[in-house]
Amino acid sequence: MFEFITPMYVFLIFSGTLVGIIFGAIPGMTATMAVAVCLPLTYSLGLDNGLALLLGLYVGGISGGLVPAILLGIPGTPSSITTTFDGYPMAQRGEGEKALRIGIVASLVGGLISLAALFFFAPALAEFAIKFSYVEKFLIILFALTVMAALSEDMLMGIFSGFLGIFISLIGVYDVTNGGNGEFRLIPPGTEYWLEGGFSLLPVLIGLFGLATILEAAEAGMPKGQSLKDIEVGAHSRFSRSVFKGQIGNLVRSSGIGTFVGILPGVGGSAASILSYTATKTASKNPESFGKGNPAGIMASESGNNGLTGGAMVPLLSLGIPGDATTALLIGAFTLQGIQVGPLFIGNNPGTWSSIVIAMLIANIAMFAIMYFAIRWLAMVVAIPKHILFPVILMMCVIGAYTINYGIMFDVWTLLIFGVAGWLFTKIGIEVAPFIIGFILGPAAEIYFVKSLESFGTLSIFFTKSWIAVLLWVLIAGSVAGSVMLARRKAAMKEAEG
Amino acid sequence: MADLLAVSIDFETSHLLFPKLIGSILALLGLAILITHRRAIAHSGAMWAQTFAGMDKLRFFGTLILTVIYFLLMVPVGDRWPNTGLGFLICSIPFVAAISILYMHERDARSLVPVLIVAVAAPTLVWWLFTYVFALTLP
Amino acid sequence: MKLTRRVILSAAVAAAMLAQPLVAAAQDLPRNVRLVIGSGSTGGDTYQAASLVADALAKQLGVNIKVDAVGASEAFKAVGRDKRGTTIMLHHDQSYLASLYGVAGSPDPFEGFVVGPTLAINPGNAYLVAKNSPYQTMADVLKAAEDGQKVRVAIQPGGVSEIGFSALKSAARATAPGSEENIVAVNTGDQADKNQAMFDGLADMINGSIQANEQFAELPDDDQKAMRFIWITATPEALEQGPEAGVGNMTRADMLKYASPETRVPRPNGEDFTFDKEFFLIYNKDMDPAQMETVDAALAQVFQQDELKNRLLEAFFIPDYRPLAEASAHLKEKRDAYAEIIGNLTAQ
Repeated sequence: MFEFITPMYVFLIFSGTLVGIIFGAIPGMTATMAVAVCLPLTYSLGLDNGLALLLGLYVGGISGGLVPAILLGIPGTPSSITTTFDGYPMAQRGEGEKALRIGIVASLVGGLISLAALFFFAPALAEFAIKFSYVEKFLIILFALTVMAALSEDMLMGIFSGFLGIFISLIGVYDVTNGGNGEFRLIPPGTEYWLEGGFSLLPVLIGLFGLATILEAAEAGMPKGQSLKDIEVGAHSRFSRSVFKGQIGNLVRSSGIGTFVGILPGVGGSAASILSYTATKTASKNPESFGKGNPAGIMASESGNNGLTGGAMVPLLSLGIPGDATTALLIGAFTLQGIQVGPLFIGNNPGTWSSIVIAMLIANIAMFAIMYFAIRWLAMVVAIPKHILFPVILMMCVIGAYTINYGIMFDVWTLLIFGVAGWLFTKIGIEVAPFIIGFILGPAAEIYFVKSLESFGTLSIFFTKSWIAVLLWVLIAGSVAGSVMLARRKAAMKEAEG
Repeated sequence: MADLLAVSIDFETSHLLFPKLIGSILALLGLAILITHRRAIAHSGAMWAQTFAGMDKLRFFGTLILTVIYFLLMVPVGDRWPNTGLGFLICSIPFVAAISILYMHERDARSLVPVLIVAVAAPTLVWWLFTYVFALTLP
Repeated sequence: MKLTRRVILSAAVAAAMLAQPLVAAAQDLPRNVRLVIGSGSTGGDTYQAASLVADALAKQLGVNIKVDAVGASEAFKAVGRDKRGTTIMLHHDQSYLASLYGVAGSPDPFEGFVVGPTLAINPGNAYLVAKNSPYQTMADVLKAAEDGQKVRVAIQPGGVSEIGFSALKSAARATAPGSEENIVAVNTGDQADKNQAMFDGLADMINGSIQANEQFAELPDDDQKAMRFIWITATPEALEQGPEAGVGNMTRADMLKYASPETRVPRPNGEDFTFDKEFFLIYNKDMDPAQMETVDAALAQVFQQDELKNRLLEAFFIPDYRPLAEASAHLKEKRDAYAEIIGNLTAQ
């Protein structure tokens, strides 16, 4: 039964996880890319060992993103954006190591819960997932978008920034592979050559968070960085298990949301952590502490994005449909070995099925072990003098942008455009967090909104489609009400102070 | 009621529906901002003047100019040795070195040594890794 | 067939050698070649076909070939910029179908480029109905349209996924003019969207593939997800070269039942419509013809060995090597046949 567990198998999972973490930790490199570059190796490795390597890369790649998100405020991958909101403030006040530990534990919890969901309920979950038509998917995206309001400093500016993000994400072709009609729109005349495909997410992301941060530091004349001493000062707020007290609900909910977003094909991996962050903030008793270094924010974000790993495997293995961009590549690995994935996969290939589940289990443990022991060294990144660290980050951003779509120079220019834009945004009050969330979710919002109307021909469908739609409206209303109350409380506090 | 909510979408022009919707919302929000934040907007001239006055112009514009030169050179240089990633390597070493020196506060020989080592080693390592180990295309 | 291929090839090689006896070195491909493909995904069939062929070709020529999944429009730009032979493109019928369907930003590969040798066929393109659908055959579908019933077909517009749909409309028009209006497209995106359109009851028939949908056809009748093949567009010749065991539980004999001539969708000229999704190379139009000969010669070699053939067959590709001149003529002919179908439909 378990004859596939050989030293080679375990070794491949560990090395895959390690390489994945490195990819995830470099701004601009993603889990998808890690899997893509190693895919050709799997042919000679055979199915079980090949999958062991790829699943290690997947789990590692999704997890590694938290390192730069927390230490540098640059999300290593799109799914760790929400980790920066609370992780970076913690690192800035010298709690980087603690924040890393919280993130890693949350990642492990997310990974294990979603793996359990995959193992016990895969076919049933897939059955449930196909109840989500365009309408329900649009409402899920809408719910995720409500976090724009919750994240903004100034409500009006924040919402404006979010819609600006959506608007800019629509530039270029209305993509046929998502169901669009292939027509161009919003492209300034004369720029069709570059802009027909629009701006890619990854260069926009590392431009706004990476290059813009460097530009701000340059504007301020490169203030001296934290010294090693500062990090040791952080020792006074040592990590202890008590941080997780009262957070079990948060962890379970966020892992569940992450898993579920993974199960829904097309909603997109980065939505997982955004949704669990939104939900946690909405449910919290002190929502105003989010975005200022609340550990609960890191837990929500990291357990959400690692919850994705098990979730995205559900539709892959029980419908033959990938749940996110990385699992789409796994289909390639299966076909290279002559194995079909589809609704009968689990029943027809019990051996491969258990090999996948065990590989993911080991990968999660490996991820935890590797990162937990590497933390001390990782945390020292902030002690590297900025005049050495920043040029190297710049160079890595360039590589990430250039390789994300396999060699397109315009993606590198996108990095610069959005680096400068990010710097301008902070000057004129446009808020980066809602902007990037709008940019990420914009294309999905469009396709599901337009397709819902195209298929059903009435706006009322958003309310009458199913009980799921009604439930989603309740969640959306809750999130909006929460943000409004939060804004009122903020205003009242300001008045009291002033 | 049902009639009021009915919409019919023409697939041929459906690419414009959502941009128009979002554009309109954006315009409304923009208008609201103009009204509520008019004082801040009126003072934006002063804000910019202050920003430029307080700015480390050498480091800020130096970063921008060096980055633009770096991006502009990468492709033509790489084109001399197609598909080897050498354009990236050859341009990255002086770029990393120049930005490092630009950002340094004390530019003495002792602190220049590690900077130059990193400027040579980091791009070389990355180039080797991406070109040979991961087989990805660099400029 | 084999003879003509070989004759054309050797004649071409001989001609090239006569024309440039002194610049033998120019025939060599650059040491580092970039193979850009018309798909942005590294998990799809285009990438797989490309990497299998690139591996074999690189070994044969002793050069490095990197496959880059940049997507169609970027691939055309990249190959259009580079006439030194350092960038070569690989794509399938989508390349000219997109331009036939008038998809924005799609160049005509026969105009600004050299359409090169064909490499492999993915014979999987298929149409499916729900298991409980009243339609048993394509004849039923055409009959239903004639009787005034709307048949909604989920496709991804503007290319490979639409061409079978266009052929169906054109056949409906030939059998009963006006009935083609009853065959309507449900424009969706990728395979997940098309399947979902069927589960949601938004489509009566969907475009799919043998590889991706075969297991849905094996599901028990009472499963909401159960589907049934109704039409496979590949030519019987291509299917016959495939493995006898087929894919999953679907044997080659099963497949042939859904393909021409067993299942017929007539073209305007009365012949059966067929569509093989063929992968081929596209060169810059100013690339040195001697380099193209080098590629052709190397491909001829690797396609004679079993290694590449077996690897292609394992992944359900049909080896389909044709040298440049022959391939170019073949694809042009194919293009013209489809242009007629699409033209007839849009003309009215």
